[in-house]
Amino acid sequence: MLQGGMGIAIDRGFAALLRFECSHSHTNEKRGPAWGAAKDREAAMTLHRPESLEDALALLAGDAPRVLAGGTDLYPALQDGPAPAALLDITRIKGLCGITRMDDGWRIGATTRWSDICAADLPPCFDGLKQAGAEVGSIQIQNAGTIAGNICNASPAADGVPPLLVLDAIVELAGAGGVRHLPLADFILGPRRTALRDAEIVTALMVPDRAGQGAFLKLGARRYLVISMAMVAARVAMDGGKIADLAVAVGACGPVAARLPELEAVLTGCALADVADIVEGIPLPQIAPIDDVRASATYREEAACGLIVRAITQAAQASEQSHVA
Amino acid sequence: MSNKMHIQLNVNGEAHEFLAEPRELLIYALRERLNITGPHVGCDTSHCGACTVTLDGKSVKACTMFVAQANGAEITTIEGIGSPDALHVLQESFREHHGLQCGFCTPGMITRAVKLLEENPTPTEEEVRFGMAGNICRCTGYQNIVKSILAAANEMNAQPSSSEAVGHNKVEAAE
Repeated sequence: MLQGGMGIAIDRGFAALLRFECSHSHTNEKRGPAWGAAKDREAAMTLHRPESLEDALALLAGDAPRVLAGGTDLYPALQDGPAPAALLDITRIKGLCGITRMDDGWRIGATTRWSDICAADLPPCFDGLKQAGAEVGSIQIQNAGTIAGNICNASPAADGVPPLLVLDAIVELAGAGGVRHLPLADFILGPRRTALRDAEIVTALMVPDRAGQGAFLKLGARRYLVISMAMVAARVAMDGGKIADLAVAVGACGPVAARLPELEAVLTGCALADVADIVEGIPLPQIAPIDDVRASATYREEAACGLIVRAITQAAQASEQSHVA
Repeated sequence: MSNKMHIQLNVNGEAHEFLAEPRELLIYALRERLNITGPHVGCDTSHCGACTVTLDGKSVKACTMFVAQANGAEITTIEGIGSPDALHVLQESFREHHGLQCGFCTPGMITRAVKLLEENPTPTEEEVRFGMAGNICRCTGYQNIVKSILAAANEMNAQPSSSEAVGHNKVEAAE
């Protein structure tokens, strides 16, 4: 989950800031000789590490700490900014970590790490999520970064979001008012914006039972450790050589990752061989990328269409092979 | 007001106990408090991997983690891998195959590579490159780093300490 800091020039800021006694940002100065000033030293950061959800929610309602889990997005994002007055580490909360089989689906706890997801015994529809997990930063990042952190960071290029969208994932939130559920598509509102309310945290992602085989493809400037220029997740169930059930989502091609319902409707019932032509011919309003340092909008658009065809093909072929086996 | 936190760490088999500021990062606790300076500070932003340590059996980057979050953990650094008199197979292999140039990334590289070969004792070149993707060598000496790790894997699999490898070798010898 390096999306937060990856594009930014390497900077020694935040760690230095934590190490030295500087915490208040009364000015916009990045770093200055006043680091060790006594007045700054008084404002120490508090780190809460509660063990129960109740305690965590009470703390959140108190001095409004920022929530910390794996920290892989949070630390780099802080950079040269002020150290927060308080952080709430949720990784010790019991019941928040791990994958549980429910009556009608799976519950992935908020602080479940990417490496745990990649190693979990899950049905084939989760293969796209696992493939995305293996692309999140590097092994060290996957050992720290959490699934809820990935969605709460709300980067348009979050690797975890498209595969969770094709799984129809639902976000479980807990706050003072109790527990509520939101479809993932309604939770992520825009770049770095979510539907999280004050003093509320994500406690889990609920994935209903879904048919088919998952796949995930990501295009970056190099093979490893990159932020996506475009990515696609697909979930495909085949029946008699035709697409029986299909879900497709694109990421890094707009302010938020999105499902492609028009394409899904048109492709259902089609043969795999027709997918490429149909994708080329249909307008896909969800693919509305921007030009940025990583790629031009035009390139992203073309690449996304190519990835859609490949991801569907990959999932469909794996699905048919597993039927044969 | 002091809000220091009580920290217990086991680093390379040795127990440590101290009070730390909540904001103290694991890498600085290791380097400046415990004088364990093998893990390096390269980028401070979890990109480069020079600070890689093994924490409760997993490779993590010590530059983006508070020491308080590591409370109670078992940590292995490069200092806990081999010794000057008895190098770890990977250390010997890095020396043998010129797996380092300036050497700044090497402690992180080897600490990560030890875990990589535990996770996957017989990696392909692709798997080595994938498993080491979080460790950057600014001298760009990747070719020899990969070569060193693959050679170490061969060496370790040929050693009698691995029962599977012994069985495999015996079959080959019998043939």
